[in-house]
Amino acid sequence: MAFPREQIRNFCIIAHIDHGKSTLADRLMELTDTVSARDMEEQLLDSMDIERERGITIKSTAVRMFYTAKDGRNYMLNLIDTPGHVDFTYEVSRALAACEGAVLVVDATQGIEAQTLANVYLALDNDLEIIPVINKIDLVSADPENAIHEIEDIIGLPAEDAPRISAKTGLNVEEVLERIVKDVPAPKGDPEKPLKALIFDSIYDNYKGALSYVRVMDGTVKPGDRIRFMHSGNEFDVTEVGVFNPAWQPVKELTAGEVGYISASIKSVAETKVGDTITLANNPAKEPLHGYKHANPMVFCGIYPADGADYEALKEALDKLILNDASISYEPETSQALGYGFRCGFLGLLHMEIAEERLEREFDLDLVTTAPSVIYRVIMLDGSIRLIDNPSNLPSPMEIQRMEEPMVSAHIMTPPEYVGSIMELCQEKRGVFLDMTYLEESRVKLSYTMPLNEIIFDFFDGLKSRSRGYASFDYELGDYMESDLVKLDFLLNGDMCDALSTIVHRDKAYAKGRAVAEKLQEVIPRQQFEIPIQAAIGGKIIARETVRAVRKDVLAKCYGGDITRKKKLLEKQKEGKKRMRQVGTVSVPSDAFMTVLRIN
Amino acid sequence: MQGIYVHIPFCKRKCRYCDFVSFPENGREDFYFVALISEMRKYAPLMKDRVFDTVFIGGGTPTCLKPGRIKALVNELENCFSIRENAEITCEANPESATCEKLKELKEAGVTRLSIGLQSADEGVLKAIGRIHTKEDFLSAVEAAKSLGFTNVNADVMHGLPLQDTESYLETLRLVTGLGLTHISSYALILEEGTPLYEDVNAGRVALPDPDETADMEDAGIAFLAEAGYRRYEISNFAKPGFECLHNLNYWDNGEYLGLGLNSHSALRLKGDWTRFNNTEVYAEYVNELGEGKLPVRNTQRIERDEEMFETIMLGLRKTEGVSRKAFLERFGVDPAEQYAPAIAELELDGMIEVTEERLFLNRRGMDFQNEALLKFMDQ
Repeated sequence: MAFPREQIRNFCIIAHIDHGKSTLADRLMELTDTVSARDMEEQLLDSMDIERERGITIKSTAVRMFYTAKDGRNYMLNLIDTPGHVDFTYEVSRALAACEGAVLVVDATQGIEAQTLANVYLALDNDLEIIPVINKIDLVSADPENAIHEIEDIIGLPAEDAPRISAKTGLNVEEVLERIVKDVPAPKGDPEKPLKALIFDSIYDNYKGALSYVRVMDGTVKPGDRIRFMHSGNEFDVTEVGVFNPAWQPVKELTAGEVGYISASIKSVAETKVGDTITLANNPAKEPLHGYKHANPMVFCGIYPADGADYEALKEALDKLILNDASISYEPETSQALGYGFRCGFLGLLHMEIAEERLEREFDLDLVTTAPSVIYRVIMLDGSIRLIDNPSNLPSPMEIQRMEEPMVSAHIMTPPEYVGSIMELCQEKRGVFLDMTYLEESRVKLSYTMPLNEIIFDFFDGLKSRSRGYASFDYELGDYMESDLVKLDFLLNGDMCDALSTIVHRDKAYAKGRAVAEKLQEVIPRQQFEIPIQAAIGGKIIARETVRAVRKDVLAKCYGGDITRKKKLLEKQKEGKKRMRQVGTVSVPSDAFMTVLRIN
Repeated sequence: MQGIYVHIPFCKRKCRYCDFVSFPENGREDFYFVALISEMRKYAPLMKDRVFDTVFIGGGTPTCLKPGRIKALVNELENCFSIRENAEITCEANPESATCEKLKELKEAGVTRLSIGLQSADEGVLKAIGRIHTKEDFLSAVEAAKSLGFTNVNADVMHGLPLQDTESYLETLRLVTGLGLTHISSYALILEEGTPLYEDVNAGRVALPDPDETADMEDAGIAFLAEAGYRRYEISNFAKPGFECLHNLNYWDNGEYLGLGLNSHSALRLKGDWTRFNNTEVYAEYVNELGEGKLPVRNTQRIERDEEMFETIMLGLRKTEGVSRKAFLERFGVDPAEQYAPAIAELELDGMIEVTEERLFLNRRGMDFQNEALLKFMDQ
């Protein structure tokens, strides 16, 4: 017996990092007795360690709650959690497409941020009913009236009667549930039509394999059904369907309007791509749901084991990682400096950092990462086009007609007092100014066209430090644009170090070359001979530093009869050596490759 | 050769760079001595088949002990252990406490070799490293030693100290060589974690000479001492011919020694096994355990043959003479030149090591990069 569709509400929560999304989700679950408070970890929905530490949601997930509203009826509320970062815009859009409504959480102490705005627009594009909620009103610095004005002025949503809550203390949270019931439309859809289920997330489980998290738009699905993924064309037999309680709970069937998971002994999440439509093989829908996109990696870097002996371990770890995250690409590559490793592609910089952190933490690996790169389009003299994501593979300038780099439209929201220094930063990052609007007295929106390769280095950090953390930032990918790019190389004692090569704009090559050379001079330990460090474009040296030769490497005293102490010091020195990479004659500490990435 | 080391942990004040186990006496001396004597008596039966060639009383500051203590100590050593006639008996002394009376007691006790901690003759440098004596104190100590007939006297000096430059260091060397001392130990400062000097340097309150300046001092010192007739026989040790320190040579030959006192270290062949152990470094544990009739021993390790061989190389290559192939062959049944042929080949290529019929030794370049050389032996 299916739950009455008119009593189902599917919704998500949109909020900026730290504005209280997870805390609100916890309160909603408490109020609906979905989990007992004492069983609940602080932020239940964010289950990965890294998510919890960074206070953000990386993978979306979902939970089903039951709530008896003041009208006396029992409602099924499906909360679909969405990732909260610009790298995952596509995933957010698919999660939103699975809902009819969105709760917009705005921090009463901070107002609306660029990221929130971007997601609100995504929600509006998906025709979602938006319920504004003002959070953190328990704080002394709360200014709910201002937050309401911002919502009305910037987004154009009436917000005067927005619930004013404290997710932390639970104040007025029940009002949010009432508004969801009252304002979010019940899902449409026809259980009798051919199955159309939208995949809004997929998760790998060691026992069940890849699970598709779906919103059933039309039709019904149950164990034993043969299903087809409409974009990939693959077919599988359903072994289990279930709902989120929030733990997986098998049910007999999932029907139009419902949210749940489908398990079909699928080996990898690469088969269950977010945005794909699941239908029945023997009674397929005519058309898939629209909006499917293949999520292409945008940012690439080389990942190497700090100890060359760990190559196999790194390979296994990457294999396991992509079981859960099909948007990461990787293929083996070799570097003269770093040996055997992998060229890995990510959706964005944060995605890359999270993946690196997971590799180091969950798989206990020590990694060396090369500078991130975007994909450059290289138009050769003969007119052919090459896509280059690794500076080492850049053809010789003699063969190149021109080069193009990917651009983004960047939107920055900031209090007006930081506009000057943020514009300076954008200019430094080769941004082309598009527009500046006063959203209201205390908030300015700046729009720029910027090269993606400037954003992937230290743009976020720069923005934060120049605005004391007040500015927020969002971008969407734009077109490729011709650009005067050069490959910047570094030579250590005359030998080129491929792991340090980067592609940069010609105007910035000198400054960058000097800065990196200086940094290398600091991080490369003195060795038995003098080491010239040179930055070069083509054959031309543009900067030079020197690491002077070390004169002595000897322990002056032997600590009386304490031989073990001396031996320990030698062991330590030996360990240190293991973490060095050989570039020609020069030993370079693994960390050096990372430190030079952070150059201001 | 076999030696005995006795540790006296008391100092009037700890120097700012020092990380040895030492502290002010504060009424502890009598208890310490009771413990030390019971330790000797407990070892006596275990050591009855051994004849010791050297004794080294180090610290801390042995000369800050109460009058008569060192005499009593040496007496007890002679009661408990058989010590060869004409054994080398060294006692460390600090200039401020090496008074004529104290040195007289040492002489009477049978001490044959004095080792005086000067560190620097530059008053500014002395102050910067927290020494409590002056250059004058040192001069009177040396004069007293000479007048009492000590003919084998070492001065400990250091380089790489705060406020020090090459000239200041050479001035110190001129002073000690000018006084006709027979032995000079010259150590480069090792900035040890946890010492006040380490904190000062890290906080930027004190600047040390940079590594190049320190290397300059060292090289200038080596040249000066050679000129003055002192042979560099170990990385940091220089002696007039025939005045090398036998006790330390025994360490570098990876010989046997018994350590007595707080935090002292021992290396002995016990029932055929090469064995290392040390005493606790906690004063109360040392005194209490001996009070209960137990030896306060920690970290006993049986050293495997490979490890013992590596130790022999590691220590032996500190000497300019290096490792005797014959002695090594006798001890391990294998010629070190064969045992370590790959490492030696690499080091020869690097211009660091030399091998003759009798010995393998590091040349000047090899001495400068000794750690590098040892890592080659370790890795092989």
